[in-house]
Amino acid sequence: MGSMFRSEEVALVQLFLPTAAAYACVSQLGELGLVEFRDLNASVSAFQRRFVVDVRRCEELEKTFTFLQEEVRQAGLTLPLPEGALPAPLPRDLLRIQEETDRLAQELRDVRGNRQALRAQLHQLQLHSAVLGQGHGPSLAASHTDGPLERTPLLQSSGGPHQDLRVNFVAGAVEPHKAAALERLLWRACHGFLIASFRDAEQQLEGPVTGEPATWVTFLISYWGEQIGQKIRKITDCFHCHVFPFVEQEEARRAALQQLQQQSQELREVLGETEHFLSQVLGRVQRLLPPWQVQIRKMKAVYLALNQCSVSTTHKCLIAEAWCATRDLPTLQQALQGSSSEAGVSAVVHRIPCRDMPPTLIRTNRFTASFQGIVDAYGVGRYQEVNPAPYTIITFPFLFAVMFGDVGHGLLMFLFALAMVLAENRPAVKTARNEIWRTFFEGRYLLLLMGLFSVYTGFIYNECFSCATAVFPSGWSVAAMANQSGWSDAFLAQQPLLSLDPNVTGVFLGPYPFGIDPVWSLAVNHLSFLNSFKMKMSVILGVTHMTFGVVLGVFNHMHFGQWHRLLLETLPELVFLLGLFGYLVFLVAYKWLRVTAASAASAPSILIHFINMFLFSSSPTNRPLFSGQEVVQPTLVVLALAMVPVLLLGTPLFLHREHRRCHSRRRQQPDKDTAGLLDLPDTSLASQGSDEEKAGCPGDQAEAEFVVSEVFMHQAIHTIEFCLGCISNTASYLRLWALSLAHAQLSQVLWAMVMRAGLSLGGEMGVAAVVLVPVFAAFAVMTVAILLVMEGLSAFLHALRLHWVEFQNKFYSGTGYKLSPFTFAVEGE
Amino acid sequence: MLEGAELYFNADHGYLEGLVRGCKAGLLTQRDYINLVQCETLEDLKIHLQTTDYGNFLANQTNPLTVSIIDTEMRKKLCREFEYFRNHSLEPLSTFFTYMTCSYMIDNVILLMNGALQKKSVKEILVKCHPLGRFTEMEAVNIAETPSDLFNAILVETPLAPFFQDCMSENTLDELNIEILRNKLYKSYIEAFYKFCKNHGDVTAEIMCPILEFEADRRAFIITLNSFGTELSKEDRETLYPTCGKLYPEGLHLLAQAEDFEQMKRVADYGVYKPLFEAVGDGSGGKTLEDVFYEHEVQMNVLAFNRQFHYGVFYAYTKLKEQEIRNVVWIAECISQRHRTKINSYIPIL
Repeated sequence: MGSMFRSEEVALVQLFLPTAAAYACVSQLGELGLVEFRDLNASVSAFQRRFVVDVRRCEELEKTFTFLQEEVRQAGLTLPLPEGALPAPLPRDLLRIQEETDRLAQELRDVRGNRQALRAQLHQLQLHSAVLGQGHGPSLAASHTDGPLERTPLLQSSGGPHQDLRVNFVAGAVEPHKAAALERLLWRACHGFLIASFRDAEQQLEGPVTGEPATWVTFLISYWGEQIGQKIRKITDCFHCHVFPFVEQEEARRAALQQLQQQSQELREVLGETEHFLSQVLGRVQRLLPPWQVQIRKMKAVYLALNQCSVSTTHKCLIAEAWCATRDLPTLQQALQGSSSEAGVSAVVHRIPCRDMPPTLIRTNRFTASFQGIVDAYGVGRYQEVNPAPYTIITFPFLFAVMFGDVGHGLLMFLFALAMVLAENRPAVKTARNEIWRTFFEGRYLLLLMGLFSVYTGFIYNECFSCATAVFPSGWSVAAMANQSGWSDAFLAQQPLLSLDPNVTGVFLGPYPFGIDPVWSLAVNHLSFLNSFKMKMSVILGVTHMTFGVVLGVFNHMHFGQWHRLLLETLPELVFLLGLFGYLVFLVAYKWLRVTAASAASAPSILIHFINMFLFSSSPTNRPLFSGQEVVQPTLVVLALAMVPVLLLGTPLFLHREHRRCHSRRRQQPDKDTAGLLDLPDTSLASQGSDEEKAGCPGDQAEAEFVVSEVFMHQAIHTIEFCLGCISNTASYLRLWALSLAHAQLSQVLWAMVMRAGLSLGGEMGVAAVVLVPVFAAFAVMTVAILLVMEGLSAFLHALRLHWVEFQNKFYSGTGYKLSPFTFAVEGE
Repeated sequence: MLEGAELYFNADHGYLEGLVRGCKAGLLTQRDYINLVQCETLEDLKIHLQTTDYGNFLANQTNPLTVSIIDTEMRKKLCREFEYFRNHSLEPLSTFFTYMTCSYMIDNVILLMNGALQKKSVKEILVKCHPLGRFTEMEAVNIAETPSDLFNAILVETPLAPFFQDCMSENTLDELNIEILRNKLYKSYIEAFYKFCKNHGDVTAEIMCPILEFEADRRAFIITLNSFGTELSKEDRETLYPTCGKLYPEGLHLLAQAEDFEQMKRVADYGVYKPLFEAVGDGSGGKTLEDVFYEHEVQMNVLAFNRQFHYGVFYAYTKLKEQEIRNVVWIAECISQRHRTKINSYIPIL
């Protein structure tokens, strides 16, 4: 938990991996997920790297895997998820896997090819029998309808010069969508020399490749003339028709048909056998493939990581550079030693100095993850910067709850989140793929706290589904008021509104122990009372929150050793913020404490006082709050305004002076400078992440980068942003008031318009009961949809904004990048 | 076309135009070419192409990689894209697409007829046919013996039919006649396409007409160049020139009289093609006329993308993609034949 406050110390380490053990080492590192490799070969293109051959082999294997997987999928089977620990395979295992995969793939291909061939054969047979089965039909029909046409040459043939000319047949089948085109082409190419009849096959046949059923069209072409025959054959070839021998005699055709049916029967049996064998092979694939896939993926990842290493001059070892948390260094050392012990030479780790900003590593657990997520969504923190996440754990749900304060709604949200938290280990919940559900599930602890805090603020506002609850007896007594002022019945009948006077003894017995007195829910001026309260509360919360942000900046400056910023930035900022808005908070609190009911009539107005403070004037009608106010107020304004130039000029001037001093010192001692450079690594290692503004002499690189105008510019922007921001941000916190008002009003409207209307309906018991069912249903649905989901989202959004903009811009730069270690762990597990 | 076609262009063709511009952004860049040229083997080439828009288009190839496989697969990819465009197009864009395929269909028909003449099997030649110009009746081309046979039996239903008006003859199809048939077909095709674009008006005409004019003139030059030393008479030659180019009519007339390359060059002297002929290197080194024409074409096609709301982008994209395929095939050929000296003479697409 301590590591939540700022990101962990991360060191750049150099790993010397003996060539023999490099693979084992990196695969072990992948299992542990400790280090992030830096690419040392950025200038080398992908296919010129050292292990590209191995990567390619893995890819080849993956290609085969894809083929196998596709086959399994096509067969309508699914691959089970791999179980157990599967380490990256040894290079020699790769050969075995490769061999087995190839064999399996080959077998599968063979069997599938066989099946394909058998199917095609069967298809052919079926088509043939279809053609034969229908063949006599059309020819008979043709002889009837086209009788004269056909008979004429036949009659001639008996005695004419064309004695040897006889009618020939071409019979076959064609795919349905080509039939029309074929028919047309036949007619155009050789019309007058043939009679063609087309008809649909009686039953649908499955295509041998696609397996989709289709109604083929069978045709029978009778023609005479050998040349025409050749043409027809060419045309049928071009349309990929299946052409079958067609015997004229009907008996012979019948015999052929029977034979065909017998053949196809036999073929079906063989096909069945093949299918059976295929399913066996697929079963083997199903069993073997998933672990292999995981293993080869790991292997490829290892080789890709190894590709980022450079080779030492002696070729004895690979050198890798990696980021690793300092805390994990011993584990890293151990892991490397363990996995390189077989090779005889041990892998070595040692830290090396580095000028680059290390990556940010903040370890989270399932509770803190969602809060860290809120911060990271704004920007990943710079290395070792103060991490706002731990404070967000409390402030975020709290600010949300201020806007969402309602016991009932909060309780519903809390219960929903609690259910998710309790069920979080169930596999069905974990593996749910619905994106909206996942979003809620990831933020379940956030929701839990948000619900809990809403219950708390709900009690403060004394609202439960917009109704007040009287847990304790109210501090106001109407009876006492009635008795004391002697209201008569006639007076009561006349007056629609009556007011309770706290100055009358016995009417106001003392403040309500916790939250808002329930009696207010009966009052007409309930809203104006709450508004005043919520507005002041918003300002107080806002100023506190912002001040806290500025104070957090102190830890940043202290950590990075920038002591001058403490004095030149944080102090002026604090004075400015507290002198103006801190004073406003003081006024509010002071008035709450000091002005009693008795003196309420002549109470001074804070607003007028605050305006007068900036105008350096005073209005005679407004009584001072406390003695000495005329002195304190101008002093605070002057002090605050005096801080602006300090903030604006302090840091740049200081840095400029430092820079000049450093420069002159270097000119005096040129020798010492080189020594300083040599010493530098240690100092920079001790406090990495310090930017160029770091005090002292941070090497010539930073020296060259120092440009006065740029620093001035930066500081000017920062100053303007802060000073104007103080005003606008304080105003921005008023959204707490606005949203909580909106929420309260909306829930009140819902209650009054739906539920109360339903309750006041129907005199008879039975009718009321029946009517209440739909009324309550509507109330429940609208409560969840509008008040919980919609209002919840809007309050969430505003809380998010208050954190990102108003809070984090006081200290958080968020310009870092995350440490993404090399790991085999699958995302989302 | 009504005025202000920009207003409703997107309603019908906006999706496709967006798509084609996206596809154009996926063309190989200069950087990719530099990397491709450095490849040692075809496998390297494949790995490199995987990082581009081609993705793993060769992933399912189990056989060892050859140049022709790469060529076929790249063409297939182009064809898939084109089919997608075509299937989602509305009139008149779909007619425009039909016109685009016609040139490939002509090439295929001629290829098949030549094959039939040389008694090669249809299957063998089918492989060489461009997939964009495929049509069902294509394979039956070899049953025809005369051009009118060809027209009446086979091509009458295809979009090529209108282009046949000028070439109906009863001549037998020998090699020269086939070549003449091709050029006549192409002439009427390009003139029809030109007319279509012209009638369409608007930006499409502004973009497509210059491209087609150039195409016509290029054909005229190439025909002239190829007819030197053949038995083709000058009058016949002139009938083959497409008449929609910038050279029409005087230039074509002069071109018909040209007897060698120098004379041809003189024809081009006064027109827009002068810089192109000047860029041609002589003899061994330098670019060939063909390369220079290709470069000019690429330039025009790239410029077509500068305007919006017209059909020219589809034409330009297809042509650019074809050029890219030619480039990659060239590089692959150089790699596989270890002939690295000429590897850089691909035509860059900028």
